[in-house]
Amino acid sequence: MQSLQLRNESLVEITTFLVRRWSERENITVEFSDKMETKTRLKENRVILTPIEKRMGDNFQRYRQFRTSLWYEAMRIKFCKKILSNDHAFGFILNTMETRRVEQLGRKLWKGMDEEIVFNYAYMFVSRPQLHTVYGKARIVEAFYQYFMFGAFKGEMQASHFERIKKASEFAKKIVDESIERKHDTDWLEKNVNEIIKILDIDSLLTIPVSLPFMKVDMIVSEEELLKFLIVISKNKEGDFGKIDPKAALSGENIYDEYKVLLDENKKNDNKGLTSESIGIQIPTITNVDETIIYDMNLINNLKIKFRELKSEWKEQHLSSGDEFDEENYIEGNEPFFTDIKKSIKTRIVILLDHSSSIASDALEYKKATLALCEVLAYLKVKFAVYAFNTHNRAVICWLIKPDNMKWNNSSAKRLTQIVANGSTPLAEVYDKMFPILQSKRPDIFLTLTDGEPSDPDAVRNRTKSLKRLGISMIALGLGSNTIRATIIANNLKHLGYEKTIAVSRLHDIPSKVIRILDA
Amino acid sequence: MVKETSYLDWNNSIQILNKAHKADLFVLIIGPKGTGKTSLVRDFAKSKNAKLESINFSLRTRESHLIGTKTLTNGTVSFEEGLLIKSMSEGSMLYLDEINSAEADVLLRLDEALDDRRQITLKESTGEIVKAKEGWFVIATINPLTHSGTKELPPQLLSRFPVRIRLEYPPEDIELEIVKKHVSGNHDSEIIQAIKLANILRQATAVEELFYSPSLRETIAFGKLLDGGMSPKESAKIVFGNVYTQWGNIEYQKVSDIITSMFGN
Repeated sequence: MQSLQLRNESLVEITTFLVRRWSERENITVEFSDKMETKTRLKENRVILTPIEKRMGDNFQRYRQFRTSLWYEAMRIKFCKKILSNDHAFGFILNTMETRRVEQLGRKLWKGMDEEIVFNYAYMFVSRPQLHTVYGKARIVEAFYQYFMFGAFKGEMQASHFERIKKASEFAKKIVDESIERKHDTDWLEKNVNEIIKILDIDSLLTIPVSLPFMKVDMIVSEEELLKFLIVISKNKEGDFGKIDPKAALSGENIYDEYKVLLDENKKNDNKGLTSESIGIQIPTITNVDETIIYDMNLINNLKIKFRELKSEWKEQHLSSGDEFDEENYIEGNEPFFTDIKKSIKTRIVILLDHSSSIASDALEYKKATLALCEVLAYLKVKFAVYAFNTHNRAVICWLIKPDNMKWNNSSAKRLTQIVANGSTPLAEVYDKMFPILQSKRPDIFLTLTDGEPSDPDAVRNRTKSLKRLGISMIALGLGSNTIRATIIANNLKHLGYEKTIAVSRLHDIPSKVIRILDA
Repeated sequence: MVKETSYLDWNNSIQILNKAHKADLFVLIIGPKGTGKTSLVRDFAKSKNAKLESINFSLRTRESHLIGTKTLTNGTVSFEEGLLIKSMSEGSMLYLDEINSAEADVLLRLDEALDDRRQITLKESTGEIVKAKEGWFVIATINPLTHSGTKELPPQLLSRFPVRIRLEYPPEDIELEIVKKHVSGNHDSEIIQAIKLANILRQATAVEELFYSPSLRETIAFGKLLDGGMSPKESAKIVFGNVYTQWGNIEYQKVSDIITSMFGN
């Protein structure tokens, strides 16, 4: 599943960017979950999306649906005051009306979305159930949804019901139009939901069965069939969208270039020699974690300001030979030539984070500090890789948080967030697992952050020796709850063959200490 | 021929400059690139009928550019005045652009001239003291520190400019007006869309999600390309999108996706 995993890497980055720009909110996080339908939790600033591979159609069509549903969620974030659950008729109907409202509001700015929206409608329509498969009064609600959203429905309807549905749908449309015209918000729409429920003659707490597109993930829709749907939809939507060419909507040329970039990126990340999996290093896979909890913006910003000068920039230096002659300096007797030197940290570093149980009590602070370190390293454009280890089901696991060839981004932060502090400190075993990678990458510095004595000191001494033989500088950071404890740990580490050991008692100091090492 | 376009004073900067000029207080303008700092100063000098001497600071700016050097012409050694000395003795207006991109030692020499006595000792020449002529006025600009190649201005120099004007990107409607001054065709709705795009990218840069924020120059360029008959989407890609390829495909894809969703065909 390696390729899928890496694919999500770029996806998380792009979707997070898009949802933030589209919704104009900075703190939204995105996660993929195949267990629930796409939804947004406004209070948590979180968008949960049905993953691409669980959608219908070919890969490109899946991507298009995915992107459009992300756009809808972004518009909800921007324009909705609240989002109710879809489980009951009341919430379901409100959300349905909101979908149309935010769509129309959003299209005012995002004018390039029209074809994509129409295309998405076709697939939404395909994924809706046939009316005869929905039982009880829920069928009426489903029919209302289909008629209101697509202007048509799948299957047949009793004539008396149809009249009600038509009336309710027209009323709903009127309400949505009015809300846009008069700039009413969610609350105002909500007040009108009861009227629709009355017209439909249903109970507002009626349970609505979930209709997930991915329940039909293997269903194949031929291009002709899809085009048929598109023709129907674009005709029914002409009032809102004007003339949309169904064929153009089907081809999605606008999006294809971008999709190709994603594919290329995927290929680039594939096949880079040693895959980490084959040598026993695992990648944390959960994507539904909220990485914002380990972001300490204060700490990060302070560090950025503190180390700003190390950010690569050109610096003038006088030398005895060089590109340009400086007469002033020559007269003053200094070295007369000046050259611009790019100031940057060129040291490549691999960082290993101890996540044994002893750190558990300070796990959050520890993560905040290490995340801040990564953020600042990325800011300073340092080449770095991050690994972590803990114990899971009695086996020690070495986790890849960030490989050196990838950019630090929110998916790396997601990976770090989900590592649970657990188990002992079997450092030698971890070094063994990482040895092939270290051997092939040969970083300048291999830094181990640990807060305890390894359970296998003799073996560790052996491993540090062999790593040093590769030309890697072995450094350890001993973490302790107070200065004395930290110093003891650092002293103990010294006996394990590290070239340098540093004691840290305040977790917040980790980033500065590491950067000082790099700058030295 | 380059058409001169006058500065649109949307936040009363000219008024502040006028008052500072009257009170003989030097002015520092702070703002990101492309917010019209230079146009503002140029316009102000024109309104005062003052001669404007400008220096654009960089890493390469030397003391000799400011003060001057001794030169040998026809067998005689003479002193060729630098712009600072020249403007002091002429009593003209001196514009120090991007003053915080220069090295600190260059700036220290400026410090001497800018203090309340408004004079400088010409140790480079015969050691005479040059006093500023009545009416000498200095305006400097700095880019915010996030701008690459910029340095923090030493505090003593900062204090020589007690009047500080912040110049931000203008609000949408003002930016539209500014762009329209440079554009002949009527493309208001497309230009508004481009300004919105620029603002989205500026916001993203402010939170470091992107590495580059487009300036007013870019929105103006967009308008000019429309004048040339290019489609809005293509112009947006050329002016706003392509630059992000510098930081890799993913960065480019992010921005081009925003452009695609903003501009229909």
